[in-house]
Amino acid sequence: MPDAPTLTTDSGKARAFPRATLADPRRATRLVLAIFLGPGLLVYCGLTAYPAFRTIYDSFFTIEGLDATFVGLANYRDLMGDETFWVAVRNTFVWSFVAPVLDVATGLLLALALYAGVPFARFLRVAWFTPVLLSYVVVAILWMWIYNYDWGVLNVLLRAVGLGDLASSWLGDPKLALGAVIVTHAWKWAGFNMVVCLAAIHSLPKEVLEAADLDNCGWGAKLRYIIIPLLRPTLLSLYILSFIGKMKVFDLVWIMTQGGPLWATETVSTYVYKRAFNWNTFDLGYPSAIATVWFLVVCVSVIILNRVLGSRERLEY
Amino acid sequence: MASSSAARGGPRSLPRLFTRGTLALVLGVYTIYQLGPFLWLATMSLRTTAEISAAPYAWPKPMHFEQFRTAWVDSDFATYFWNSALVVVSAVAVVTLIGAAAAHALARYRFRGNRIIYGILFSSIIFPPQITLISLYQILVDYNLYNSLFGLSLVYISLQLPLTVYLLEGFFARIPQDLFDAAKMDGYGDLEIFWRIVLPVGMPAIATTLILNFIQLWNEFLFAVVLITDPDKRTLPIGIRAFMGDHFQDIGMIATGVMISVIPVIIVYVFFSEKLIRGMTAGAIK
Repeated sequence: MPDAPTLTTDSGKARAFPRATLADPRRATRLVLAIFLGPGLLVYCGLTAYPAFRTIYDSFFTIEGLDATFVGLANYRDLMGDETFWVAVRNTFVWSFVAPVLDVATGLLLALALYAGVPFARFLRVAWFTPVLLSYVVVAILWMWIYNYDWGVLNVLLRAVGLGDLASSWLGDPKLALGAVIVTHAWKWAGFNMVVCLAAIHSLPKEVLEAADLDNCGWGAKLRYIIIPLLRPTLLSLYILSFIGKMKVFDLVWIMTQGGPLWATETVSTYVYKRAFNWNTFDLGYPSAIATVWFLVVCVSVIILNRVLGSRERLEY
Repeated sequence: MASSSAARGGPRSLPRLFTRGTLALVLGVYTIYQLGPFLWLATMSLRTTAEISAAPYAWPKPMHFEQFRTAWVDSDFATYFWNSALVVVSAVAVVTLIGAAAAHALARYRFRGNRIIYGILFSSIIFPPQITLISLYQILVDYNLYNSLFGLSLVYISLQLPLTVYLLEGFFARIPQDLFDAAKMDGYGDLEIFWRIVLPVGMPAIATTLILNFIQLWNEFLFAVVLITDPDKRTLPIGIRAFMGDHFQDIGMIATGVMISVIPVIIVYVFFSEKLIRGMTAGAIK
């Protein structure tokens, strides 16, 4: 890492040259630093930090057009009694805590299959990764068709194998809609988890796996006692990554169901969007309060998860 | 890997063959599950809506390539496409340049606050987008940048900056210091070092970041839908959604529009699949 000291013979040589402006090549003048860091920090401050603070500030106001009225904590009080908000929180939490387990498990199993040496492994890896690259708009439209009651793949298959009774309006039934959207999201991201797991398995120490082979260790035991414990840091960081993604989920839900039917797929993100830009409530203060609360919830959850899961690893994005 | 398991076949080869068969079947079905929907979309994009409603799962025959022309010319997908291209290419170019400069300073120079700046930039990766979304809308309205492709590009630059800095910092930090010491002795200034050493040496990482940023912004939906309402300024994701809202039944044309938005991504993927996979997963492995 960049902190490594470099006071080797080089710096001695550098000092011998009077032309060298600074003795330590790892130091730079403020001007140089400003040139390198300035534009980035400017963008960050102007378009990330300032808006974030402004949202928090706005959450104490009622904002209609250009008029801002200070209302103190009223938005937060209303929020506590807002049933739709709590439904959205519940849905998002279910999604964020449960789905990542499935995601990581599928990713690991797929990676193991490729690692075990199936034919066309290279092709399969590239093929399975494709959905990761498709936009949520594309994925949402595709899966709306797959879930279509009359001619969607799912119902067509069910009817073909004689399970026509199970054919449902997958996105129209409040009991099924959330599950249907979760499956779609998992479909999109399975390849991502697979690739990360595969890379991690390939970087495991070869000797350990070979020793296990010599001991006639079966796949089950090898998985349970060697691969999973060694992959623990990767699996945990994948879990947290997946968790963060689900706490933010918007596009897919918005296009597939708009949070319906009957709030069944409402997430916090879609609710903020509705309150800010979709309903004719014309108040930006209240959605700002939701966004602020959710910002804190996400940050705190990530910190807690990081602690509880005991990953010493640096949290990756 | 494959040889070690095959060599131990022997007396158990029949059950092993059976296991292998099951595995192949499962993987085959899984591959259809992952690729099938996309191929289905591809066939639909070449068929008219009437043909699709008659038989949703038939092979396109004849192939209606003119659907692409219709979508491109008559359904405004050309506008959406060029808007997307303009916004994404400019945002990616700028964010890569300023991100690389910041990453270089953070990776190479020791100064007070280095790790704090890095930490602040990095931590914003976990922010839910809503925390900036509402205020960005207000700010862009204030500065007359609402409903403008320029405003959207600025927002996109800020969205991708943390990830760009994070990925490039990791790579730049591994460039050997000797290279910089030697350059200094040759009389290179700090800017020259960045321009003539860091950028060329860091090209592989920069290319990965470029591709990654391109894909993510090409697919971006939330900020575009909030910050753009003018039909002439729609990017592809919101253009497709708007088209779908107006022509819900016209499945063939929707599929064609969707294909238009996917084709650039697929082309990039065909040429740079390894780079792309590495870039997308770079954050999670370490």
